[in-house]
Amino acid sequence: MKISAEQCGCCGVCVAVCPQNILELSSMMIITHEGCENCNLCMVVCPLGAIKDGKNEI
Amino acid sequence: MEKMKYDVVVVGGRVGGSTASLFASKKGLDVLIIEKNQEIGVPVQCAEATSSSTFKTLEMKPSSKYVCNEIKGADVYAPDGSHGHLEGGYAEGFILERKLFDKHLAIESAKAGTDILVKTTVKDLIRKKEGVRGVVAKHMDHTLEIEAELVIAADGIESQVAQMAGLNTRQTPHSLCSCAQYEMVGVSCDPHYLQFYFGQKIAPGGYVWVFPKGDGVANVGVGVRSDTTSAYSFLRKFTSQMNATPVELNIGGVPVHGPVDKTYTDGLMVVGDAAGQVEPFTGGGIHVTVLCARIAGEVAAEAIEKGKTSENFLKRYETRWKKEVGGDLKQSLKYRRIMDRLTDEEMNILAKFLKKQDLESISKMSMLGFVRDYPQFLKLLKEIL
Repeated sequence: MKISAEQCGCCGVCVAVCPQNILELSSMMIITHEGCENCNLCMVVCPLGAIKDGKNEI
Repeated sequence: MEKMKYDVVVVGGRVGGSTASLFASKKGLDVLIIEKNQEIGVPVQCAEATSSSTFKTLEMKPSSKYVCNEIKGADVYAPDGSHGHLEGGYAEGFILERKLFDKHLAIESAKAGTDILVKTTVKDLIRKKEGVRGVVAKHMDHTLEIEAELVIAADGIESQVAQMAGLNTRQTPHSLCSCAQYEMVGVSCDPHYLQFYFGQKIAPGGYVWVFPKGDGVANVGVGVRSDTTSAYSFLRKFTSQMNATPVELNIGGVPVHGPVDKTYTDGLMVVGDAAGQVEPFTGGGIHVTVLCARIAGEVAAEAIEKGKTSENFLKRYETRWKKEVGGDLKQSLKYRRIMDRLTDEEMNILAKFLKKQDLESISKMSMLGFVRDYPQFLKLLKEIL
């Protein structure tokens, strides 16, 4: 799972569905913690399509 | 590390948080709101329509300071374009300017004595053997240890606070509508009527809304549950034919599967979007949240007065909000489930049938006639009746 910082609108929808609880919404960005299991639920719900398959480089 | 002490810490400073803190402060409690954003009210994640019951609960008169527009009814469009008109009643209400409304509520709460910390994020809970006893928060580079008798989690769909306390507030792609909205200028529509558009092609698992804010400005938004296409793509598609200009893009998620299983635990209550306190059929949440949050604020006052903050005592929060809105939310969820199973063709047939009926008093005879002509609806209708 890879979040495009350019596309992300910091709405927190991905945080709401993450079964591993590894996503966190600060006021200006989504913080990704260790432990993603590639379930891709965040990809499905992102209103802006800002989440893609792959490794986060941040 | 700086230490602070309050009766109640409320996490989140939007309608849920400000309402809970307003009523807790009015009862004389020491209350602190923690808001992660720099400014209360932004970014907007709402289509901004609400009913007059919101103001009744808040004991406020709707003010032109934050009300853009009065709504008298709604126009609903089936996938084939056939159209139904609702006048008054359930469809009546207001369009708010949420930026101003949320700020106004926070100001009212502060006037009642609530302290507010903006740009502050909860990192952990303080847990003692009797339950949650405050939060550890971060404001810029300062860590704050804030002790409290009670925590109210009003931290939205992305709620982590209730989950830290062991409540399951997680959503799924099926339980959450993914939404994108433009506030647009130059929208030609009747300024006093909401518009809803249904159909798999324009908004699978949700609908398109056009909510007029007056003077040719409107919130044009899309809520969807789609595995393949983003809400934003559907929004672009719907608005591409409109000769209107966006001045704002809002995004977010709306819980449409009813409230979470449990909304309280030792030392903590959860309110608003975080608790799924939203009407599943319409996605409207302001009036429900305000009501539940007021109850949470009042229960907090009782709990602290009596020195009882265990889940045994806080259970009354859930009992009370369920008594007020539990039945409506259940009914609304039934309609949502039925809606979710309808094909476009079935929606068209149903729309044509409903159009001929007086919605307040659909007769049994007309229902029977309808089911005789369209037997596939029998199972669905059984669930409502």
